[in-house]
Amino acid sequence: MNHRTGVGFAILAALAVLFSYLTLTSGSVEISWSELFTCDANGMGCRIFWEIRFPRLMAAILSGAALAVSGLALQTLFRNPLAGPFVLGISSGASLGVALSLLAGLCFGHFGVLGSAALGAFAVTAFVMAVSARFSNSTILLVAGLLVGYFIDAVVSLLIAHSDAEALRVYVSWGMGSFGRLTRESVPVFAVVGACGLALVACATRYLNAVRLGDDFARGLGVNVRLGRTLVLLGSSVLAAAATAFCGPVAFVGIAVPHLAFMLFGTGNHRVLLPGSALCGIVLCLAASLFQTLPLNAILSLVGVPVVLWVIVRGGGR
Amino acid sequence: MAVLLNCEKLGFGYGSKNFATDLNFELLAGEVVALMGENGSGKSTLLKTLCGQIPTLSGTVLVQMNSSLQHCDPAMSNLGDVPARDLARRVALVRMSGIAPDRMTVREFVNLGRSPYAGLFDGRSAEDNRIVEEAIALLELESFADRQVSTLSDGERSRVYLAEAVAQQVQILLLDEPNAFLDIPRSHKLFKLLRKLAAEKNMGIVVSTHSVEYAERYCDRLMVIHDGCVQVSRACEARQKGLLNWTEC
Repeated sequence: MNHRTGVGFAILAALAVLFSYLTLTSGSVEISWSELFTCDANGMGCRIFWEIRFPRLMAAILSGAALAVSGLALQTLFRNPLAGPFVLGISSGASLGVALSLLAGLCFGHFGVLGSAALGAFAVTAFVMAVSARFSNSTILLVAGLLVGYFIDAVVSLLIAHSDAEALRVYVSWGMGSFGRLTRESVPVFAVVGACGLALVACATRYLNAVRLGDDFARGLGVNVRLGRTLVLLGSSVLAAAATAFCGPVAFVGIAVPHLAFMLFGTGNHRVLLPGSALCGIVLCLAASLFQTLPLNAILSLVGVPVVLWVIVRGGGR
Repeated sequence: MAVLLNCEKLGFGYGSKNFATDLNFELLAGEVVALMGENGSGKSTLLKTLCGQIPTLSGTVLVQMNSSLQHCDPAMSNLGDVPARDLARRVALVRMSGIAPDRMTVREFVNLGRSPYAGLFDGRSAEDNRIVEEAIALLELESFADRQVSTLSDGERSRVYLAEAVAQQVQILLLDEPNAFLDIPRSHKLFKLLRKLAAEKNMGIVVSTHSVEYAERYCDRLMVIHDGCVQVSRACEARQKGLLNWTEC
């Protein structure tokens, strides 16, 4: 680990700890740490902490890491700096799944929403894989992803038109994105699914490092390209689906954070970039979670848009 | 000298395009073979076939997988049966017209040569780092080792690609027009380096080139693809045997 990498990780870790502390302690009710460990489980302070603030903290951490790693892996796989769960329609697929779950009633508790989101994400991923196998041109892939997004919007519009007011209110609220929706009971589910997605992508580290120069180059280094591609697409879909199911369509983290991580660490090595992006995503989402009264996507977009614009204007990319 | 690669009645091409059939050829340890032919004659296709990137149309390609050539195993392995990672430790194809890597320094690129030896999470040992630094020194890349590869000239990039293959520590090195972007002094230097690599590291090298001068001067043998036929001859006898007649209109 070189000096720059070490400093980068140290800064991000310090920020993550600071923002975690602020997330747990900020709010209309002041809760002291001593009160947490001495009060009875049914006390107001304890309940606010464990039922609201702790799940919100975990939602920010898990979705930040999940979306950042998903975005980085997809940008590398498609060798396109603007790829990501949103642009390629994977998040839209998850949104459709959730819309079907909330608006059409195909819901079985939290597992049902997550399952629907995952199914939607996998369906779009399969489509993207088929397009990428047919066309090597990434522009076609992006256009296809956008078209899928429009198509899904149309389907969701139809569902909205035929849904009742309460279901619609829940879906619209879900669509604005929030870290406050995750319940304490759902935290372990999100954590396990997120860990599985991260593990799948992490197992493809050798593939991600080699494929930056194309599939043939990766094969020349003895990399199993088909397995690597499958691991990345599967892992990215699981991560995007889980984050979208539990926190709504959280914008820009997937696209912007990998670029922030590269700017910070100055390396394309995924042994550094994968944990670095995850940590960057965590810090960004924790910072955004501090603005509890503002819509999450608005806060994230205020950071995300300038970064993506910087990438476009600079004309660089993977 | 030990045989590193053996083609038996090899037919190569892709789809319905068949460039040549019945190629019998042995690549020996320590020799440099020039691969020549007109544009579109199938040079790149043959190199891709020899490293297993595209399948053979007919015949077989056998690879010596025994790294200890002093105790050479006479039984060679069929290219198609060798696991990809093992093959990557024996054979490397260097192409100069590949994708220019963005967001990657020269050192990081050369480091990719150690990928076939890495574990699940692509870590590098101190030995890997030493081999990478040796490859950087051998190709004289120290002065721009921390620059982005995408900012280099074509000639500098050619040397970086070759350094990556050197770090891969293969026994069989295949190069597709490595001097296409090099100036004359650099081209001479490159071919001298190939000779050095072949002699010192006991490598077998096949290098495709359009330069008759470099082929005759620096290579042990010439392999010429012309009119669907592949002929092989010692470099000093090639002109006499008429292998270079196609170069003169």
